[in-house]
Amino acid sequence: MKERQFPGARTDCLSRKFESELLVYDPQRHVGHCLNSTAAAVWKLCDGKSSPSQIAAALSQGLSARMDEPVILLALDQLAEAHLLVEPQAWEVSVSRRAAIRRIGIAAAVVLPLVTSVVAPTPAQASSCLHGGSPCVTNGQCCSGLCAPVVQRCVGG
Amino acid sequence: MKKLDRLDWAEGLALSAFGVRVGVRVNAPGMLEHVRPLLPPGWKKSSGGAVQRLYSLIVGGDGERPGVRRLHVLYADSVRLGRDVALDHVLQALEADLHLYVATAAPDKTFLHAGVVGWRGRAIVLPGRSFSGKTTLVREMLRLGATYYSDEFAVVDGLGLVHPFARPLGIREDGSQVQTKVAAERLGALPCTKPLPVSMAVICKYERAARWQPASLSQGQGTLELLANSIAVRNEPRETLLRLHKLAKGTAFVTGIRGEANEAAASILNLSGKKDRLEAV
Repeated sequence: MKERQFPGARTDCLSRKFESELLVYDPQRHVGHCLNSTAAAVWKLCDGKSSPSQIAAALSQGLSARMDEPVILLALDQLAEAHLLVEPQAWEVSVSRRAAIRRIGIAAAVVLPLVTSVVAPTPAQASSCLHGGSPCVTNGQCCSGLCAPVVQRCVGG
Repeated sequence: MKKLDRLDWAEGLALSAFGVRVGVRVNAPGMLEHVRPLLPPGWKKSSGGAVQRLYSLIVGGDGERPGVRRLHVLYADSVRLGRDVALDHVLQALEADLHLYVATAAPDKTFLHAGVVGWRGRAIVLPGRSFSGKTTLVREMLRLGATYYSDEFAVVDGLGLVHPFARPLGIREDGSQVQTKVAAERLGALPCTKPLPVSMAVICKYERAARWQPASLSQGQGTLELLANSIAVRNEPRETLLRLHKLAKGTAFVTGIRGEANEAAASILNLSGKKDRLEAV
C-alpha cells in the first residue's frame, strides 16, 4: 500500500493577500480562488512535511485558539477540490460543510475554511458580445463565440 | 499577407491607443471617415515604425456585372475576420475586434469589463458581463450628475487608478439586441480625462421588479469578481493581480440584485459619498 503523503501546497500558483484573505491564481487551469483566513492559513502550512494534526497544532498556537483536526480536514478537502494541493485526490474526503460544523460544534470559535473559485475568462468572454440571433460578422462578436456562416447570426449564448 | 499587400489600397492610418500601435487600411477613398468614429477613445495618429496589428477593410458593393454584389471583407493581419453584404456589420466587427485587441495588448494597464463613472473625485466601478445592465446604470448615474468614464472598460494602471475609456454609450432600448451609440455629452455628462482612485466597486445584476438591497463583500471576494471580468488575466495573471491589489485598497465592494436603475443608481452614489460605506450596507 502506498504510504500517504502529507499535504503540500502547489508552489506554481500566484497569490496576493487581501486583508485576512488570500487571492490565488492558478496559471495552469486559469482559475482564481479566494481563500478565507482559515483556508489561507491551512494552505500556507501545507509544506508536505506536516500531518493534519500537526497543522492543527501549529494553527492553534498561532491563533491562540484550539483548532480541531476536522477543521483542517475540511480545509484540505476544499483546497484539494480547488486543485491547490500537490496530490489533490489524496485529500478529497468529501466532508460536507454541514457535517463538519456538526462535528466541530456550533460553538466553535474558529472561522470555517472557505474557498471560492471563478474560472478566468478569455478576452472574448470578458468583453461585450452579442446574444443568439444577432447579426454578426466574426465569431468573436458572439457570446457563444460562434457566428454561423451564410446566415451571419450568432448561435446560442 | 503578400496577396493582401498587393491590393490597391486607397487610404491608411497608423494609430496608437493605450500604448498599442494599430494600422487600418481601406480600398475605397473616403472610407476612413467612417472608421475614425470607431477607433478607441483617446487614440492618436502614429507616425513611423511597425504596427502590432493591421486591419484591412475591402469595401465591396456593386460588382462589374449587373446583379452581382461583392461582399465587404475584413482582415486582421492575414486572418479574415469576416465578410458581409452590410458594411455597417463589418464596421461593427472592426470596432469590436479593435477595442478588444487594444484591451488585450495594452502594456502597463489592466482592462476590466465594467462601467465606470466619476463621483466626487473618485471612481465607481460596475463590473459585469454583457446584458448585465452596466450601461443603463451608468446612464442613470450620469443623469444624477456623475461624470462619464466608460460603459465598457475600466482601465486600471499600476497604481490602481482608473483611466477613462469614454466611447459613446451603447444603449439598448427595451432589452433589444441592437445598440444605439449615444455620446455622453448628449446625455448632459462631461467625459473626463483624469485617472481616479476607486471608492466603490458594485457587483450587481438586473432582475425585473427586484428591490435593491446591497450587501458588502470582502476585499478578497470583491477582487475575485473583478478578476472574473479581467480581459487579459490569462495572459498576464501576475500584473493583473498586482493592479487589482492596488485598486482594492480603499475600495468598498458591494453586491446585490437591482430592479430599476434609478433606485440603484441613487443608492450607489449615496453610499459612495459616505465615509462609513461598509457600515451603511
